[in-house]
Amino acid sequence: MIFRAVEDADLIQQAARGQMEAYNLLVSRWEKRVYNYLLRITGNREDALDLTQDAFLKAYQNLRKLEDPARFAPWLYRIAHNEAYSLFRKRRPETDVAELETEGTDTGITVGGSSVFPLELSLAVASALERLSPEQREAVVLKIYQGFKFEEMAEILSCPVSTVKSRVYAALELLKIELAPIKSRGVS
Amino acid sequence: MNCAPFDLRDYCLHELSAAERQQVESHVKGCGPCREELDRLRLTETALLTLREEEIPQRIAFVSDKIFEPSPWRRAWEGFWGSGARLGFASAAMLSVALIVFSLAHTAGSPAAPLTVGVSNTSVSNAQLQQKVQQLEQRVADLNRRSQEQDQVMQRAADAFDYLERQNSSVERAGYIQRPANGDFK
Repeated sequence: MIFRAVEDADLIQQAARGQMEAYNLLVSRWEKRVYNYLLRITGNREDALDLTQDAFLKAYQNLRKLEDPARFAPWLYRIAHNEAYSLFRKRRPETDVAELETEGTDTGITVGGSSVFPLELSLAVASALERLSPEQREAVVLKIYQGFKFEEMAEILSCPVSTVKSRVYAALELLKIELAPIKSRGVS
Repeated sequence: MNCAPFDLRDYCLHELSAAERQQVESHVKGCGPCREELDRLRLTETALLTLREEEIPQRIAFVSDKIFEPSPWRRAWEGFWGSGARLGFASAAMLSVALIVFSLAHTAGSPAAPLTVGVSNTSVSNAQLQQKVQQLEQRVADLNRRSQEQDQVMQRAADAFDYLERQNSSVERAGYIQRPANGDFK
């Protein structure tokens, strides 16, 4: 755990009183994580950056509505999630959000040869993630890469904990199969 | 499916308590299939974590928009005088102080007044009292007038500060700006 002279909760309180510097510090602590979350669910860097800006702006405008500063992370990700899904709806209004897929290669990496290099492994993982449904992918991103608890994920995704669990479990089963050939050679 | 006391996926995903984790670990030591399943899950997680986070191309920073934001002077001024209750309390406090001062001054002037007071003395005292009250009312009115004048001066000063701040903050007019990844503002 990294020691922080000023906790997020203090910064949130200062920012809610209008101290912009406190909010900027808060943004600098969270921007990379939020950007990467949005990048993984949109698959597009430009969109992820725009959405990150929008999410932080909206968070600032609504900071006074945040009752418990300890819940800042799920609250912020909920805003980011909503921003991303409203963009999806705007772009493809006739398509069901659950059917949306991230942009990327249609065919995954075919793993062959006798050794697996880190870059190859990363590409294979990215490809495996792309094969998941958008909901499963987002669940994996929030759980594995962002480290949220199931309860927090339920808050972010606005769905029951049981739904969150089933998405994560299903995604893990698929990833286990997708990544099995790589694991047997490259990861120990 | 496994026969562990708790779901191995929850174990891998750090959703179990310390006691629950310990139970799973002791079970896995003696159960081959569960150990293999746990290995598969761990390897999957390890493979997933090889995908590194990317640096954000442009860092995000916000600046306050001074055009729409009141100056500290105005905020302090409006914060104090904006409340009607505070204004009423201040007026009542001024009146109370005036009455106390008056009563102290009056009693100090006649510390041992006799109990038997002549008619002429009483009438003189009443006249003096009336005069004093009138003087006091006049002073209170003067104070109120001066206070209003001071209010107007302070208001003009706050307006002037606002104007100066708006002039100074013309470069920071946008609601937010981006700053490059090296931290330097554009």
